[in-house]
Amino acid sequence: MKETPQEKRIHENMKAGVMCAKGFLGSDTRHFHEIIETDAAHLQTLGYTREEVADRMQALTNAAFEAFMGSITLEEHLIVEYRSFRGKLTCPFAHPGGFRKGSVTLQNTRNNITLCWTPLNIHMIREHGFFEGHGSEHRLDPDILIKALFN
Amino acid sequence: MITTILTTIAIVGGMAGFLALLLVVAEMFFANYGEVIIDINGKRKLKVKGGSSLLSTLNENKIYLASACGGRGSCGFCKCKVRSGGGPLLPTEKPFLSPDEIKDNVRLSCQVKVKEDIAIIIPEEIFNVRQFAGVVSKIEDHTYDIKELTIQLTQPTEINFKPGQYVQLQSPRYGKIKQKVSRAYSISSSPDHTDYIQLIIRRVPDGICTTWVHDFLKEGDEVSFTGPFGDFFIQDTRADMLFVAGGSGKAPIKAMLEYLDARNSTRRMGYFFGARSRKDLYLDDLFATWEKSMQNFAYYPVLSQPTEQCEWNGRCGYVMPYFDEFIQDVNNTEAYLCGSPGMIAAVVKYLVSKGIPKEKIYFDSFA
Repeated sequence: MKETPQEKRIHENMKAGVMCAKGFLGSDTRHFHEIIETDAAHLQTLGYTREEVADRMQALTNAAFEAFMGSITLEEHLIVEYRSFRGKLTCPFAHPGGFRKGSVTLQNTRNNITLCWTPLNIHMIREHGFFEGHGSEHRLDPDILIKALFN
Repeated sequence: MITTILTTIAIVGGMAGFLALLLVVAEMFFANYGEVIIDINGKRKLKVKGGSSLLSTLNENKIYLASACGGRGSCGFCKCKVRSGGGPLLPTEKPFLSPDEIKDNVRLSCQVKVKEDIAIIIPEEIFNVRQFAGVVSKIEDHTYDIKELTIQLTQPTEINFKPGQYVQLQSPRYGKIKQKVSRAYSISSSPDHTDYIQLIIRRVPDGICTTWVHDFLKEGDEVSFTGPFGDFFIQDTRADMLFVAGGSGKAPIKAMLEYLDARNSTRRMGYFFGARSRKDLYLDDLFATWEKSMQNFAYYPVLSQPTEQCEWNGRCGYVMPYFDEFIQDVNNTEAYLCGSPGMIAAVVKYLVSKGIPKEKIYFDSFA
């Protein structure tokens, strides 16, 4: 696929060792456009928009962030924990600004799904529809993510 | 039809390519900014070659502004005031600047290109910032995700700093990591030891610098860093000192207490350390030692979620309710906080509600 200079830069940013140690693509050999398109189609079949997903993740993140000393239980079945680290993360799509270096762990005790995301993941889902490539450290498979967030 | 489309694509593509080439050639011939003058604080003038960012140009002249992202415009550390010549404010800078800072011509030096004579204002302390080389003489595991490095200085061989300040450690290219990065870490040793520094570093999942520290760095390896930076340090008063930290936020507090211990300080000091469980506690023996050597110092570890395995009979939950054990006079209490932005915000809110003036609360937030 022919890439524009901007797309080339984004693709470069997503590789391991550029913006984070393991990168955003994992073992996925598809172009990031294809990853986004496939996940968008899948999300549609699940009946959710990326904004709804990002809003829900943000609400859980905010609650865990305010708790700051370990995990909290929300809605009786969601255990959420926020771990803070010094510094900021940047968006590989070259959005200006930085995103808190934090790690949110969500455990849904109804279906025993545990997921982990960063504030940057929420931004990438909301603004770019990007759930990361297969095998990536923070890949959020839409199917699993929806079950964890909404079941 | 297909032939027409392909021809059109070829023509448009060719024209775009030609224009891009023209721009590259023009950049080579016309974007030569020659020598320009950087006026610093109205006191010092640097003659430099134009064309690079203000941050890198200053670095080349051994003036090191703080920067944790290597000039990517993502950390917001490299702020300085530009009095003239910096060009317009860029969209990449705005998210890091408050309305007051924008009004005051504060810029991110990594985003300002030096194209013409430029006048800037930077804190005088920046002139004390140096690039250091050293050798890792010791690596200690404090917890499952926190290590403390001891770095013996080799070039220069001495460092002067205030307890509470930080340095920017540079990680090299390693494994799949194709670039050097710099990350900020508080110095955990006392400034009384001028020939070495210690850094407490918590592993960041997927972090470039901390992965290097935790998985690749060995005793005997050479490292480099710049510093010291920061304005989080002990106030020269007689007020009681309330310290609060979590995780690797223990580093600057350790430096401060070691410094105070060496001076036989008689100030009243209480240190509240918040951790999730017993496995997140560390250096407890050292703080117990200081409780003996400093008559007015007390250490209060608090576990938010101790498990049965912790066999913990101490304080549990949030740290804030336990402050009453220490605070005697809110008008004579200073607070020193280091940790997550969530913790800092909650503790500041609590202390202010207790009557401690906001201007007496000093903090180093991880954000």
